[in-house]
Parts: sequence; structure tokens; C-alpha cells
Amino acid sequence: MSHPTAAQLIEAVQLFLKEAEGELTGRLAFHAKVAGNTLAIVNRELAQNPETTEAEALAPFGGVAAACEDLRNGRLDPSDKALLRAIRKGVLARCAVDNPRYASFTRLTEREIA
Amino acid sequence: MPLSNQQKAVPVLDPITDGKAALQALIQRSSGKAVQLQSVAALSGGASSATYRVDAQIDGKPTPLIFQRTAGEGHDGLPRSIQAEVLQRAGQLGVPVPSVIATTSPADDLGDGVISTMVAGEALAPRWLRLPEYAAAREKLTAQCAEALAKLHAAPLSNWGDLPLKSGSGAELLEGMFTYYRDLGVDVPAYDLAFAWLKPRMPTSPATCLVHGDFRSGNFLVDESGLSAVLDWELTHLSVPAEDLGWLCAQAWRFGHWQKPVGGFGTREELLQAYGGSVSPQELHIWEVYGNLKWGMSCLQLAQDHVSGRVPSVERAAIGRRVSEVAADLTYLIAFGEL
Repeated sequence: MSHPTAAQLIEAVQLFLKEAEGELTGRLAFHAKVAGNTLAIVNRELAQNPETTEAEALAPFGGVAAACEDLRNGRLDPSDKALLRAIRKGVLARCAVDNPRYASFTRLTEREIA
Repeated sequence: MPLSNQQKAVPVLDPITDGKAALQALIQRSSGKAVQLQSVAALSGGASSATYRVDAQIDGKPTPLIFQRTAGEGHDGLPRSIQAEVLQRAGQLGVPVPSVIATTSPADDLGDGVISTMVAGEALAPRWLRLPEYAAAREKLTAQCAEALAKLHAAPLSNWGDLPLKSGSGAELLEGMFTYYRDLGVDVPAYDLAFAWLKPRMPTSPATCLVHGDFRSGNFLVDESGLSAVLDWELTHLSVPAEDLGWLCAQAWRFGHWQKPVGGFGTREELLQAYGGSVSPQELHIWEVYGNLKWGMSCLQLAQDHVSGRVPSVERAAIGRRVSEVAADLTYLIAFGEL
């Protein structure tokens, strides 16, 4: 028998929270639900590592911090298609972890920036 | 928008327990009628305010009232007495609002609060956006919202001249928001994209009217015939009409009904037409981008409450991850022109 992985530990706590939620009411029940959803984010993040995807997408612009800084100081044009495509890629990676059921995530996934 | 940490909450009476007598005395003093308090119950506790249902007998007549007061530490919104004043004047202009019964004074020891009439209606937007009994209401709502805003915005600035309200151009509002974003020190590429996109587009002309400042589905009461009241005037300020219209179209208030850009119930075309045609689709688009970005700032702020230890909370931590929902909205809006 092998010991449980991080993902399996998270799933165990999720199961427990589901059970606890049924016993709770009001604010505590709501927070148990939120806590369960939060663990689902953690599990997806462990599997997908969106920060790396975002960093790679923005590498041609010097990385995340440099791209942000250049948008702030006007060196990057917010209508630059290559920039928009890179930002879209990072956003999709993050949203796939944070809320893959979000309507704008699906719509942005389905629509390429020409 | 950013909550300040400067003020500490002063201990005040609890309207449910030791504050009942003070509440009764306040209603009696303001109404000049015989008042008997029957019951007080907590309705909801938001981050910045607490709301109670108060059942009173006024001159022997059962009267349901609402007592709402500022709660929690650090608070940047308008004092309730000023909000009450704006509420009353908005009512006179024809905006559906509750009637103000009384405003607390420090001697009441009840905090900064207002007592108003209880208007019937559903406050939970996910319910009135979904339930079939509100289908007819949803049909009317876009025109009713446009009409309420048109009446509010039509009042000249002199109507509010004696009140200490914040005022600024769109460009100044954006600048304030950007300063707040930089103070947080985070890098969200889609947010910087939106700031850069908005910067040359925000109007630099001064404010022309009073805006509600938080005109969205979650701040309406809706009954079967539509909009019965516009609540929560805490963020009211002087600006331009399109700010209220754009905020109403932000994705966060559609509660999943994303095909209906106006609050989850209407179309932009219908909104602009019912408003009277003085706001263009381009202007609405700019303020819609601004509105979505502003909601993104709120997500960052709520996450910061948890991360900084100011308000440790699983709910606030989780809202921090809604930052990427807004990033998706903003990227879509800027890349494709509408959402």
C-alpha cells in the first residue's frame, strides 16, 4: 500500500467538508462549501501549474512583471495583437484553474485573436 | 473604494438585545407618534453594513421597517445621514426608494444608521433572475432601470450642491483606481491591459450629475411588476451618467445569465434607447470596461483583507481567485469589443 498523494489528501478533506456541510447551517455551511471549492482550485493548480504557462506566454515581452510595467509606462500598446494573444493564453491558464465553469472562460477559449 | 484602517468601531448597542429601547425611542422621536417595538431580527451582515428587520406598531398600526447601519472596522462610504438625504431627494425625483423614517444621532448609541420603510420585493438577484414568477418583471426591468437612472441623472448639480459628495472626471476615477492597484503591488497582465486601454479613453470633463455609484442587480428589490426599490446608496457621488449604465452591465451582476448584458436581464440597445439616447454605445463600452476592472479591484481588495490578516476569511481568500474571471472578461471585452 502506498501513502496518499497530495491530491488524494485534498480529496479526502473535500469529502469531509461535504459531509460537514450537511450538518451545518447558515454562514458555516456556506463557508464549508466555499472551502471545498477552494480545495478544488488547489488540486487543479497542483496539476496544471498556470503560473508557468503565463510566464512562458509573456516571455517575449520580458515576462509578466515587465509586460505589466511596459503597459503602465506606455511602451506597450494595449491593441498589440501579439500581446493580446499572450495575455489571453495566460488568462486561460489561470481561469482553467480558478473557475473552469466560468462562461467567459469558455467563450475566450473558443475565440482566437486573429 | 479601498477600505481605510483608520477608524476603529465604537462599541454600540445591539438593536436585537440592549438597543431595542433606544431604537424605539428614536422612531418615536422622529415620527412624533406612539411607537411600540415588537421584534428586531438580523437580515444580513455585509462587509460594510448590517441590516435588521424591525416590526413596530406605530399609532397601533403594524409597520415593518428596516434598520441599516455601518458595521465593521474602517469604512470609507458616506455617513448614513448624507445617504438618507440623497435617498430622499432621489425619491422626490421619481426614483423608487424606501422612505426614510429616522437617522441615528451619536446620543442614540446605535451607530451610524438609518431607519426606513420596508419595501416589498425580492432582494436576492439570483432568485429574481431565475424564478418563473419574475418573468414578467424581468421583461420590464431594463426600461425601469433606464427610467430611474434618467430621472436621477437629469437633476442639475445644484440639487446636490449642499452635500459633501465626492466628485471627479472619469480620468480622475481611473487614476484613483490605478493608484490603489499599484499600492497592492500585484501584477495582473489583463488588468494592466485594461488600465492602458482605458487611459486615453476616459473622459476628462468634470462631473455633470449625481450617480448612484453601485447600481446593479444585487442592489434592487424586485417584485412581480419589476423594480420596486433601488437600495444601497453608500457609494453615490458626482460623475457622468454612463458610469451607472456601464456598472449595471458588468459581468459579475449577471449571475450566469451572460447572454443578457444588462444585469442578467436586458440588452444594451434596449437600455440605451430607454435611457433616452444621450449615452452612445461607445461610451457605454468604455464604462463597461471600467466597471469590470473596478469589480476586479474589489476582488483584489477582498483577497488582500485575508492575505494581510486584516480579515482572515476563507470566503475572501476564495474571492481572490475571482481575479482571473475578471481577467477573462476584460481580455474578451478589449479583444472583441463586447461581452
